[in-house]
Amino acid sequence: MQKIRRRSVLAGAAGMLAMPKLGRAQAAKPRLTAISQWSAGSDGAAISALGKKFEERGGIWQHSPVPGFTTEMMNKLRAQILSGDPPACSQLKGPEIAAWSKIAPTVNLDAIVAAAGYEKVVAPDLARLHKPGGKWAALPLQIYRTNTLFVSKRGLDRAKADKLPTTWAEFNTLADKMQASGMKYPISNGGSRADDGQKFEACLAGISPAAYRAAIMNLDAKALKGPEMLAAFVQLRKIANWMDPNTAAQPYAVHLPKLIAGEMGMMIQGGWAQGVLLNAGFKLDDFIIAPGPTDNGKPVFILNADAFIFWQRKEADLQEGQKLMAELVMQPAIQTMYSQITGSIPVRTDVDLSGPGWSDGQREAAKTLKDAVAANQVVLSLAHNMAQENGMTAAMIDVLTEYVKDRTITPEKAVTRLTEAVEGAR
Amino acid sequence: MKLNLRRLPEYLVIWVPLLLAAGQIVTFALWTTWISFTSATLMPSGDWVGLKNYTNVLATRNWKIAFDNLLIFGFGFVVLTALTGLFLAILLDQRIRGENVLRSIFLYPLALSFVVTGTAWSWLLNPGMGVQKLVNDLGWTGFRFDWLVDRDMAIWTIVIAGIWQSSGFAMALFLAGLRSVEPDLVKAAQIDGAGPFRLYTRVILPSLWPIVIAVMVILIQTAIRTFDLVRALTGGGPGIATQLPALVVYDFMFQRGQLGRGSAAAVLMLLTLAAVLLPYGIWKYVQRRRAANA
Amino acid sequence: MASGNMSNAGVPPMRDRSWGRVAVYVVVWALAVGYLVPFGVVLLNSFRTAEEIAQTSMIGWPTNWVFGNYTAAWATYCIAQTCSGIQPYMWNSALVTVPATILSTLLGAVAGYSISLWRFRGDAWIFGLVTMGVFLPEQMRLIPWTIVLRDLGMTNTIAGLVMIHTIQGLSFTTLFCRNYYVAIPVDLMKAARIDGAGFFRIFWRIVLPLSPPILIVTVIWQFTHIWNEFLYGVTFTTGQQQPVTAALIALSASVADVPQHGIQSAAVVVAALPTLLVYLFGGRYFVRGLTAGAVK
Repeated sequence: MQKIRRRSVLAGAAGMLAMPKLGRAQAAKPRLTAISQWSAGSDGAAISALGKKFEERGGIWQHSPVPGFTTEMMNKLRAQILSGDPPACSQLKGPEIAAWSKIAPTVNLDAIVAAAGYEKVVAPDLARLHKPGGKWAALPLQIYRTNTLFVSKRGLDRAKADKLPTTWAEFNTLADKMQASGMKYPISNGGSRADDGQKFEACLAGISPAAYRAAIMNLDAKALKGPEMLAAFVQLRKIANWMDPNTAAQPYAVHLPKLIAGEMGMMIQGGWAQGVLLNAGFKLDDFIIAPGPTDNGKPVFILNADAFIFWQRKEADLQEGQKLMAELVMQPAIQTMYSQITGSIPVRTDVDLSGPGWSDGQREAAKTLKDAVAANQVVLSLAHNMAQENGMTAAMIDVLTEYVKDRTITPEKAVTRLTEAVEGAR
Repeated sequence: MKLNLRRLPEYLVIWVPLLLAAGQIVTFALWTTWISFTSATLMPSGDWVGLKNYTNVLATRNWKIAFDNLLIFGFGFVVLTALTGLFLAILLDQRIRGENVLRSIFLYPLALSFVVTGTAWSWLLNPGMGVQKLVNDLGWTGFRFDWLVDRDMAIWTIVIAGIWQSSGFAMALFLAGLRSVEPDLVKAAQIDGAGPFRLYTRVILPSLWPIVIAVMVILIQTAIRTFDLVRALTGGGPGIATQLPALVVYDFMFQRGQLGRGSAAAVLMLLTLAAVLLPYGIWKYVQRRRAANA
Repeated sequence: MASGNMSNAGVPPMRDRSWGRVAVYVVVWALAVGYLVPFGVVLLNSFRTAEEIAQTSMIGWPTNWVFGNYTAAWATYCIAQTCSGIQPYMWNSALVTVPATILSTLLGAVAGYSISLWRFRGDAWIFGLVTMGVFLPEQMRLIPWTIVLRDLGMTNTIAGLVMIHTIQGLSFTTLFCRNYYVAIPVDLMKAARIDGAGFFRIFWRIVLPLSPPILIVTVIWQFTHIWNEFLYGVTFTTGQQQPVTAALIALSASVADVPQHGIQSAAVVVAALPTLLVYLFGGRYFVRGLTAGAVK
């Protein structure tokens, strides 16, 4: 009697516990906890728009943007992982995806990715970064080209030039011409570390994408001392001499008015600068967007991509939310919406950019990406943490930024220092 | 026993906060030291690697530059802030009108976060938009004030902003000191015919000695912890010319994802501090002993 | 210290030669203007439009004064995709700062009192250790605190932040209070003990009434430091609980790509108001508190 009673009580209790859970599982409303770096600009607007779409599909969008730099966001992520409470999804990019996926379990997205037939439409180098250990754990959201050349219309007129430079030699000639026309600083620049790194990567990849791949992406000891590296440092010195040395740590945006006014001529920047220019009230006819100079006649695309990584959670609603988020992120319509807000280009290579929401610059970048993939000339950005883990990246950028700011460092010495920095950070 | 129980609340009140505060400091310091001997990267766990992190950190240019800068910055900031504070205190001590307003003006920078003021300073010190441009636009075109972008001088711009922020505090302390000088002492000196300069250098300033120590302690801890200011003002640049140990520690630990190395840098930084503070502590201890024996 | 008179106790001013006086005034006001400039730049920007700042310079006199930046910053400016202005974040900061300031000050007062007036075994050691805390950079303590918060189940709570600031703040408050209480005459204590007063009674009846000057110093110090703290605030809170310093970082030009400098400057001014007011009104007591012996 007692036994039966106990059993029935147990069963009842189990039922009580299970029932609502079952009920919840059936009606689990997708919920997503996400952390990302807080951005005041178009990136923030794009994430908000993505959140709206998530809610339209019946999900609960719990997004906490972290103010500050990327480091602060990673601190937050680390704190949550240490507390056993990782977000369902968080912003993370490049090789850090693989590094972080080692410290906490991530969601295996293979099935969802396969169902969407996504792998076929993503550049292979990019796909690799999001598949640590061969399994999709993260999804790229948008792509930027870091070696985009912005040329000032008025600057071009002032130098009485009509042709855009395609090689470094032409670039140098044009810059000289601009300077001769009375422009004090033909190259518009920012003063941040990433800015300096970006100039270098544009030089090296433009001179030889193969050398870039070997030296920067694979850290090949021989390639790091190769002649292309030296040539890249020589070119970087030329660029540095054309830049305003008074920029200090200011962002590149401080010089945009001068660039548009023709007091400065050209700017090597990521594609995101387009959105910044338009937001600052300048017009698309004020500037021309072109691919960065390349010396081998084929297009080179230095790739930077933002991505979301998905952390394992037990809660049914969060799992549903992750599924929904992954589906959304891969959709052409969502990628179109996202890139049209930020000025980037979609990750999918099969999105049609002929529509009215796209700019010529975006169309050109997307086409260059396709051509560069075909020519095997897509490389990953060092300055934007796509080529190496953060520790290595920072050690290398230390050398590059010192070189840009200090004219007494010779190109030869810079090559040596870079090799030493790589050794020290290994 | 009964007595002890009755005094229990008092023991609790004495010891709980003190043990929490001291315990936190000791465990955190030991924990950091432990991590500094491991291969920890993104997470605080890893294998024992001995002194590898230390040799590695000591070999980086970042650390070398940061360490040199700490000496320059530490010395420049502490001494100049103390002197500025003393100067302001003496000025304010001249029975001037509007002292309340002036004191508030010199103190207010202390109320502000460097996240804010560092940015404003970066504009002011920027040759392209700040003081230099203003003076150039006024007609003195040859005027140069470009320390912010000068590798050798950039660290001094951080000193300047640091003085601006902390000198008010030093001023308050010195002013407090000046006003607690024994009036008899002053009167005696005046009767002896001492002029104002002599009065300050011979009578008043020597009596400020304990305050100088208090000011130094506060300023040294500010110097060691300087972080936000550099991040907002120079970002560690030009190049890596204005790195400071606190930045290197944060950079290694969190930006580069090398907790082991970052911890090693932190321990090195604390050892440097100990090298400065220990002699003072020992001197003080010996002095107290002597006083007790005398 | 009974009198509120701030005039100097015994030091005579430099001799009243009029030229010397003029020089003192000129120098002191020139310096004062210099000290005002950095915040003045931000203050002026808060009355300029973003376009005006972007197309001219970060430093400049407003060509036409706008006041809308303040209403936007307070109530409608979008911070982290929530368009509520900095208002809720001000409240969050207050929720952390006020309790942590009060707690750390009170506990520090008791700790300083017991160390200075109830000498016990090991007091010098523990005081030394606690004081060491003022030299530990907070970046170093970030991960240990994360672990502590996790183990106490206080991750992402305001209470967790209050605890951190209270315990860390004890280093400063104990240091300040101990140095102040050391100056209390031993005879006073002896007399009280002979009268049979215990630990709490002496604190309550004798020490606390003597304390306002130093308590004001510690409150000002703690309030500003906690209010301005950024690293822990951002790491240990989430979404809508974040402190106002999270809004301040917006002004840091290297973060925002299209800076709304006008509104951001207004946000900064508003966010700085509590600490500025504390200094403005507390400033006179600050010097007085220090004069009364905090620095000996």
